[in-house]
Amino acid sequence: MSYFPWLTIIVVFPISAGLSIFFLPHRGNKVVRWYTICICLLELLLMTYVFCYHFQLNDPLIQLDEDYEWINIFDFHWRPGIDGLSIGPILLTGFITTLATLAAWPVTRDSRLFHFLMLAMYSGQIGLFSSRDLLLFFLMWELELIPVYLLLSMWGGKKRLYSATKFILYTAGGSVFLLMGVPGMGLYGSNEPTLNFETSANQSYPVSLEILFYFGFLIAYAVKLPIIPLHTWLPDTHGEAHYSTCMLLAGILLKMGAYGLVRINMELLPHAHSIFSPWLVLAGTLQIIYAASTSLGQVNLKKRIAYSSVSHMGFTIIGIGSITDTGLNGAILQLLSHGFLGAALFFLAGTSCDRIRLIYLDEMGGISIPMPKIFTMFSSFSMASLALPGMSGFVAEAVVFFGIITSQKFLFLPKILITFVMAIGMILTPIYLLSMLRQIFYGYKLFNMTNSYFMDSGPRELFVSICIFLPVIGIGIYPDFVLSLSVDKVEAILSNYFYR
Amino acid sequence: MEHTYQYAWIIPFLPFPVTISIGLGLLLVPTATKNLRRIWAFFSVLLLSIAMVFSADLAIQQINGSFIYQYSWSWTINNTFSLEFGYLIDPLTSIMLILITTVGIMVLIYSDNYMSHDQGYLRFFAYMSFFNTSMLGLVTSSNLIQIYIFWELVGMCSYLLIGFWFTRPTAANACQKAFVTNRVGDFGLLLGILGLYWITGSFEFRDLFEILKNLIHNNEVNSLFAALCASLLFVGAVAKSAQFPLHVWLPDAMEGPTPISALIHAATMVAAGIFLVARLLPLFTVIPYIMNFISLIGIITVLLGATLALAQRDIKRSLAYSTMSQLGYIMLAPGIGSYRAALFHLITHAYSKALLFLGSGSIIHSMEPIVGYSPEKSQNMILMGGLRRYVPITKTTFFLGTLSLCGMPPLACFWSKDEILNDTWLYSPIFAIIAWSTAGLTAFYMFRVYLLTFDGHLQVHFQNFSSTKNSSFYSISIWGKEVPKPLNVNLFLSTMNTNEKMSFFSKNTYQIDRNGKNRIRYFSTQFGNKYTSMYPHESDNTMLFPMLVLVLFTLFIGFIGIPFDQGVIDLDILSKWLTPSINLLHSNSGDSFDWYEFVTNAIYSVTISFLGIFLAYIFYGSVYSSFQNLDLINSFVRIDSKRILSDRIINGIYNWSYNRGYIDVFYGKVLSNTIRGLAELIHFFDRRVIDGITNGVGVVSFFVGEGIKSVGGGRISSYIFLYAFSVSICLIIYYFFRF
Repeated sequence: MSYFPWLTIIVVFPISAGLSIFFLPHRGNKVVRWYTICICLLELLLMTYVFCYHFQLNDPLIQLDEDYEWINIFDFHWRPGIDGLSIGPILLTGFITTLATLAAWPVTRDSRLFHFLMLAMYSGQIGLFSSRDLLLFFLMWELELIPVYLLLSMWGGKKRLYSATKFILYTAGGSVFLLMGVPGMGLYGSNEPTLNFETSANQSYPVSLEILFYFGFLIAYAVKLPIIPLHTWLPDTHGEAHYSTCMLLAGILLKMGAYGLVRINMELLPHAHSIFSPWLVLAGTLQIIYAASTSLGQVNLKKRIAYSSVSHMGFTIIGIGSITDTGLNGAILQLLSHGFLGAALFFLAGTSCDRIRLIYLDEMGGISIPMPKIFTMFSSFSMASLALPGMSGFVAEAVVFFGIITSQKFLFLPKILITFVMAIGMILTPIYLLSMLRQIFYGYKLFNMTNSYFMDSGPRELFVSICIFLPVIGIGIYPDFVLSLSVDKVEAILSNYFYR
Repeated sequence: MEHTYQYAWIIPFLPFPVTISIGLGLLLVPTATKNLRRIWAFFSVLLLSIAMVFSADLAIQQINGSFIYQYSWSWTINNTFSLEFGYLIDPLTSIMLILITTVGIMVLIYSDNYMSHDQGYLRFFAYMSFFNTSMLGLVTSSNLIQIYIFWELVGMCSYLLIGFWFTRPTAANACQKAFVTNRVGDFGLLLGILGLYWITGSFEFRDLFEILKNLIHNNEVNSLFAALCASLLFVGAVAKSAQFPLHVWLPDAMEGPTPISALIHAATMVAAGIFLVARLLPLFTVIPYIMNFISLIGIITVLLGATLALAQRDIKRSLAYSTMSQLGYIMLAPGIGSYRAALFHLITHAYSKALLFLGSGSIIHSMEPIVGYSPEKSQNMILMGGLRRYVPITKTTFFLGTLSLCGMPPLACFWSKDEILNDTWLYSPIFAIIAWSTAGLTAFYMFRVYLLTFDGHLQVHFQNFSSTKNSSFYSISIWGKEVPKPLNVNLFLSTMNTNEKMSFFSKNTYQIDRNGKNRIRYFSTQFGNKYTSMYPHESDNTMLFPMLVLVLFTLFIGFIGIPFDQGVIDLDILSKWLTPSINLLHSNSGDSFDWYEFVTNAIYSVTISFLGIFLAYIFYGSVYSSFQNLDLINSFVRIDSKRILSDRIINGIYNWSYNRGYIDVFYGKVLSNTIRGLAELIHFFDRRVIDGITNGVGVVSFFVGEGIKSVGGGRISSYIFLYAFSVSICLIIYYFFRF
């Protein structure tokens, strides 16, 4: 059974099924919606099945790998394969995308194209997380951009074209560096290109060249992740996009950067990573404070949440930069945790904004009475996002804290400073999140509009938020549930650092 | 019985099912859940009583043959670090368990009636049960991480419950303030935990103490760093227990429903900080200077809380400041090394203060129909007075609670406070004098509250709200010595109308607007049943029952701390209870109890309390003039016009107290504005500079593109012109540089 191409099917299935959306009979949006939901569910079930029965958790090597020659000239292979690092993001992708399609039910304009793009994104993301080939990685990275651009520019808010252009320019600008890095790495040291991860992992480069590669890749990921000076596309994009797109953006797209950072930079370029890691930690620390304080200054609800996710990604960067077992595990945990939380917060913000038709926080107020359920869910997710114990955010941040504390790489005083500044972020987070809650829900306000808009969330929305809430609680109470996926792989990656 | 210990982990989780089922029920089947109202309350009381029985059993075993039981499960399986969950049953835990469950049950029974008309009745019980869960979890936790987890959960419950009436903007602000202030403490706590982990590599209490003791003994650790970590840990306790720099959240937390104030902000959650200090006392004693720091913070809080309580108008605020002051005493006690006294006062204070808060809730409940439902009015002591006639049972219970808090001999707080004062004399005379005189202040402000509330005449009818809001000093004379005019009655009635939302009634009365008495008659005849609500009512039995039970506690809980047999070395119950913990601290705790010394000290403290009570009677009592209340300046001016200086002093104290020592203002001005300014600045930087660069690049590239487009327009003549122009420029430059 092992040679059955499970992964290829998983990667290709959504987009190929999505193509057939255009051949569905014109019977309104309902058919398209149900079709997409079914595809997503089927894919999720397929993934779960494959991972349950054909994947060994305690094996740090690549599993379910396939290898087909695609373009012979430069040794380009279709080479998917997963390991402990990628299984988490893939499952997250399946989960969030399914819920995002469910969340996208109110979209009626051009719903065929919309749902096709969702499915295309689905394929692209899974393809990225499961590719074992540099060029394939790059290809999937680029494939991801087009659906996002279209989703933004067609179903966004008022300034959608501006933000879509900004998004595509930023990410394409980042991709240039990726594009330069890929053949550079592939062509170095041998006459024929080697794009396989395994072979290039064992290769060693001169230090300066490695730093150059590292830097190039880092820029590409820094745009996606985002790392501070390159983050401004994110609030604009998230502020304008439809909330189901936002869920995908915040839930998965940001994770691609962090994934790439671990997958390529840490695994393939260990020397450069140990040189760069103090700077990464510094950037992450600054980012936590910087984005948290910027978020406090935002009046746009969605932008506030967007900055909060920038701030939360800082923990991931620190975890990656700490080069410890604990830190890296924490980073992966934070990745998944923020995937859930960011998606849920954007979803709830989107639904409540659509209801009250306001986007600025200072105009809102007192909607807790008409919408108690949204209020409940919003508060729960805000609490989870400010790292309340018992929810996933806390575990992830705590593990990152322990990672940086136990890190061998840093001296006594810098460690104290970094921990201290990170902990200041812990004070700033509740300030902006709770004042956001207060401004939206607390207080009392009479609305001029008729009450018909003020429906509380229906069963569908409730289902979506509860579905996201369950893993959040689950990770918070029993983190091993997720940690066990990646522990062995993380150990394998880090073993490189202690040998040399 | 080994079994009780084995299953002790159940205790925290007992109240939890109520939370889950109410939460799910409200989300999924709201109407059915709401129809079951009382049943949920019954269940939460039942489950908590089971927890109480459990913990009583544990406590009895701890008293008899006390041994410490600890059990832990591993939480994360990781090679490099492992977190464990577990529980630890020792005397401290069992005391806290008893305390939380008993007060919790009383408050739950009480709030069944108190919240019965509230829309959020079920939500309230869900929050309460969750709070009980996390508080019980906090006291049974066996390592620092677990303490941190429950610490935060307790803080969240407090946030939710303070913001329970979320439509009030003040409540919304208060809950945010409470959470953020507590988060500052958590910040310290987390850093402290991390630091200690760094030093010792363990979270487990006993390992931690052992390792740290050895390390310090062998000088292997930077003592400055260890002191830093310990003081950071202490910051957590400071925030939770409302000690001096971070106390600002506690008075504002009174925006929550009164049962919450009784349970969370007087008896249990604020004791968590003390609990932490008591738990980590072996650690603090090892590290130098920390104990002095703790006692310093404690003594500052004692004095500050007492002075701030002096002139509060809100009955709950004034009780809150009193709580803060008493917590200062409790924090002072471990700082000066008397572990036993701290816990003793913690227990007695918890019962007395819970009683006082429940009493104030009963008062508020009886005032609300008269003055309206805003806390500005229903909790305003100026509007109360003379309630002893209307709410006799509440009055008696409140009086006993007040006496207890003042330290009157047979009541609970007397024994414990006296013990703390004694120990303070041994530690440092300056601290002792401050603590001792604060006992007088305590008596003064507590009797001020009591007299303003129950003594004299009901002030509601004489009040003009708009004038009292501004400043009591200048408005008092207006309503001081005059017979209430009909106009005031009108005003009262009209406020009543708006509050009761009987718009049809007010419409009718507008037609006969001239005569207020007419109106009253109209009112009384037509709405005869409503007439009764012109005077306050005693609360229902459901509310009185818990208060009476707490009175029993207040009367008799003091006896656990006093030795019954004189002469023979027979330890009192509390000492017996605490034997292992005390032995852990100092080996020779079996010193005999000296009644003579005790009595002399007690006389001092009772004297100062009497002085305070006497002063309170002079200022606020109804003996001389029933309208002299709060009439400080006026009365003084009349008595002796030369005493301007003392007037000024008193005025200054009142202003200081009423404005909360200007600390809140200071924080608001400095911290909030700094953070806000920083946020604005960074936002500006982000928008203009970082985003500006991006947009600038975009705009520049656009112009460049346009320029190139216009340049590359395809007109031969322009190319030729450009060519000729540049050639000529080059020639000119060449020409000039040639010569």
